[in-house]
Amino acid sequence: MKYPFFKLKLSVFCLFAVLFMSFWIPPGHVTVYLAGDSTMSDKAVKAYPETGWGIPFHAFFDSTVTVKNIAKNGRSTKSFIAEGLWSSISDNLNAGDYVLIQFGHNDEVPTKATYTPEADYTANLVKFVTETRSKGAIPVLITPVARRKFDSEGKVQGTHNVYSALVRKVAAEQNVPLIDLDMEAQALIQKFGVDDSKMLFNYLAPGENPNYPDGKSDDTHFSELGARKVAEMVLADIKSMKLDLTNRIVISHFGIK
Amino acid sequence: MKDKKYLCAMLCGVLLLMSFTLSPPRKIKVYLIGDSTMCLYPTKQFPINGWGMPFANYFDEGVTIDNRAKGGRSTRTFLAENRWQPIADSLNAGDYVLMQFGHNDEGPPPQYADRYTPVPDYKVNLIKFITETRAKNAIPILITPVSRRGFDKDGKAKETHIPYTKAVFEIGAEYKVPVIDLDKMSRDYYQQLGPDRSKLLFMELDSAEHPNYPLGRHDNTHFNEYGARKMAQIVLNDLKAQHIPLADHIVKGTNAPTVNPQAK
Repeated sequence: MKYPFFKLKLSVFCLFAVLFMSFWIPPGHVTVYLAGDSTMSDKAVKAYPETGWGIPFHAFFDSTVTVKNIAKNGRSTKSFIAEGLWSSISDNLNAGDYVLIQFGHNDEVPTKATYTPEADYTANLVKFVTETRSKGAIPVLITPVARRKFDSEGKVQGTHNVYSALVRKVAAEQNVPLIDLDMEAQALIQKFGVDDSKMLFNYLAPGENPNYPDGKSDDTHFSELGARKVAEMVLADIKSMKLDLTNRIVISHFGIK
Repeated sequence: MKDKKYLCAMLCGVLLLMSFTLSPPRKIKVYLIGDSTMCLYPTKQFPINGWGMPFANYFDEGVTIDNRAKGGRSTRTFLAENRWQPIADSLNAGDYVLMQFGHNDEGPPPQYADRYTPVPDYKVNLIKFITETRAKNAIPILITPVSRRGFDKDGKAKETHIPYTKAVFEIGAEYKVPVIDLDKMSRDYYQQLGPDRSKLLFMELDSAEHPNYPLGRHDNTHFNEYGARKMAQIVLNDLKAQHIPLADHIVKGTNAPTVNPQAK
């Protein structure tokens, strides 16, 4: 009992240290949900080599992350909600989980059954953001990834201008991290140019691939190469925005002696 | 009493018949043996892919692909590590063995002494694979080593496996084994793409592009997912062109070629 005061101080210090650490040690596991359309989704084998960017995205994280790709071909915000896909995410969210949200391709086409007028699209995005946050999870908004379209001078053309602007607006108003994949993918497509950019998309000559005997010229859906390049852009933004998820990117020592 | 006997005999007969009709046809097993350009890779090494990975996606349910290729292996080390014998033991009539070696056999000593296999030994080893495959009434297919990416100063794709590819052809002719000339067909494809675009088939990564390769990677031998699939397509299409019966089990897709109207 020579230093009772010191002992007390030590135990208080220890208590605070433990408390402090409970904030700093990341909780064991987070789930990253991907909510979106065919440009993001997993694919049936019979659709290969069409590839959603959510597929290569899986490979970027360490074992504390599970990527659950709920994105589905043909879905708009409206049909994603109507079919219960959204509630399959929101019902299972835990604090610290992420939801990456990328819609627009099927919302913006008035002739499609999935058409979602601008006001509804905005309201649905706000719903996704609000319900994600109510669970202590983190929403990330993503503008609809660009299609391959060039004008006669070889300059890439935006095809989602109206709906991408809506995503940016919601992100700004709700203070949500934004990945402007429409603009970034347009830049990538421009960099590749009119011909080479076909390698990013599901372009197949007749007889080239058994799943597409008559070939394919698809300016919307990616090849493995395009899907990975897009996933790499998403990852780069996660890093540059310094989202906590960055701490869970896989650390490889490959090539480092 | 007579009726009962009759019924019993009939039931036995039906059961006997069923034992024949109910057993599903045995699946054809296709073994892939070869090196790093063909083998499976774990996620932590993505986006590298051996061409055997996408290859497996294009067969119907009558076929199982068993990719036993292994990075760094020559015909000699594949045998020495006892990778062949278990395959030979488990082969059934009608199975296939697709073999593609050469990249490591040709590795010159002293740097690659651990795997180097001189051409005469390479031939002996391929003949062993062929003979032991046929002993089980299984079907061997020879594949020339897929080209490395290299161009001379005039932009002509360089041939990198000359003596080993020649050896494959000699054995193919002597033993009447189908040869898939992946060396030439891949090189023709690199030539068609040219020096720059052909890089898109390979493990060409900037540093910080992919977390699995923090220092980046500049590799003219190993394929990314895209290049591996292009190589798999070449092999699939040559199986068809040579009318190898295995080609009957390649899927016949029904996806429409239509362009998405929104992009127009």
